[in-house]
Parts: sequence; C-alpha cells; structure tokens
Amino acid sequence: MLTPAQVRATLPHRYPMLLVDRVLDAGEDHIRAVKAVTLNEPWYARLGPRATPDELAYPDFLLIESWTQTAGILAKRLAGETAEGQVMLFGSMSGIEFHRRAFPGDTVEHHARLQRAVGDTMIFEGESTVGGEPLLTMGGITMAFRPGEALAPPPS
Amino acid sequence: MTSPVLAVARPVGEPVHDEGSGAWTAGFTVAVTEDEPVFAGHYPDFPIFPGVCVMECVRRAAESVRPPRAEGLRLVAVESTRFTAAVHPGDELSVEVTWSPRAEGWRCAAKVATARGRTASVRLRYGAGAPTC
Repeated sequence: MLTPAQVRATLPHRYPMLLVDRVLDAGEDHIRAVKAVTLNEPWYARLGPRATPDELAYPDFLLIESWTQTAGILAKRLAGETAEGQVMLFGSMSGIEFHRRAFPGDTVEHHARLQRAVGDTMIFEGESTVGGEPLLTMGGITMAFRPGEALAPPPS
Repeated sequence: MTSPVLAVARPVGEPVHDEGSGAWTAGFTVAVTEDEPVFAGHYPDFPIFPGVCVMECVRRAAESVRPPRAEGLRLVAVESTRFTAAVHPGDELSVEVTWSPRAEGWRCAAKVATARGRTASVRLRYGAGAPTC
C-alpha cells in the first residue's frame, strides 16, 4: 500500500499529469493501483454547456498513461538505488486493447506485472478494470532508466 | 472529442488513395507549443511532450481523414508504438498516416518526426468493437 503522499514522492509527474491516486498493494513482481475519474478533470474544462456521453469519456490514451505510471512505480521499486537521479523512459508498447470507456465517477483499477527484465530494461503487462469489468488489456510495455541528459532539449 | 492536447493537426496536401491496396495516406504537421497544459506536470522544470500525447496527435490527424468505409468504426486497439526520441515545447511534428483495410476493420499506421528526425511510430486498429459505456 502506498498513500497518495508516497505516490507523489515516487513519481516525478505533477498536475495535470499525475494519474495515479493510490497503490492498493505492491509485491515483488506486481502492483495494483487506483485512479479516480471525476467531472473536475482538466480535460473537461473546455466542453460546452451540453456535453455528450462521448465527450465525457475519459481520454483513452490517458488511461494508458495512468496504467504506465502504475507500472513505473513498480519499476522504480524494483530498480531501487540504481534509479536515483535517472529518468524513466517508455520505449515501446504492444497489444493494447480497449474494452470499454471510463467516465466521471468511475474508479479505474490498474494491475501491472513484471513480465521479464533484460539488462536494465523491464517489460510489464497487465490490465485495467472498472467495477470488476475489463477496461484495458496491456500486452507489453518496455521501460528503462536513463540519465536525464539523454532527454535534454536541443540547444537553441 | 475530449483531448489532453490543444494542438491541431494541419493537413499537408490532399489524402492519396491507392486503388490497388485500398489504402489512404495523408500528411500533417502539428505545432507543439509551450502552451500545452500537460507541460505543467510532465515534468515541472523539465518539459517533455508525453508519448501518449504524441499518440493523441496521430489519432486526431488520422480521424480527420477517415476513409469513407471506416466511418463509424472506433479505436479498439493500439497494436504497437515505439518512441525513439523526446518531443519538446516548440517542436513541430510531421505525421504521415496510412489507413489500410484489414479482414476486421482498419489499421492506421503512422510515422512521426521532428526537425531532429524520427520520434515515434504508432499502429492503431479501428473496428466495430467496444461499446461506448
């Protein structure tokens, strides 16, 4: 179990891109976390007076981001001290399926498992659910830690 | 559609249809400015355009040129994506999208580059698929 304060201390992400609220449990090779979707999400700020159900669906790719942040917390725990001062990078994703959409009032539960680790690269898989119903299948994502300079913007 | 990205995909020329394969190809540019709301938190003092937002740019570009027979289909899967370089505020993305008919639905493959070279490739699948709620 990680409290919201611990989640915030583990991930470098901040509003409006900190998309994990609480970790329910985390073991050696798996993690379960929740993200609550509300009407107050910034993505809904620009909707007109009459929003359609489609417009109120939580953006699909942010569900992927939320899941990958969950996997990122596990990756950071597994990497331990070697991740200090390093930036977490997602290299690739495959086999992601959308089974339904999430809406304000939904609590999305993410489940990520370490599929395998090769050198300093980790591969995670898992799924997300809402009320026990399948939302997302995550076939595989690769993640690695790299020095921050690797991502530095080009000199202008 | 509700989106985490403000930037609009601007078409470069007209979509090209290949009669033989049934594929449609189209080009776009997307100006990623420092005004994008995601930069505030991704990351503070270290702005990187999130990979999922690059995917969102691809999706919005692709859906603006849906082939006639792909109308009404929805995004059912991300078959694969690969990120090879970071995108920063001020970058302009070049996006080339190809819609190809498949046995079930359509595949939408995209290559994304900045002035510094390739940054991502994305393959999406559209189908009759999932219910909306």
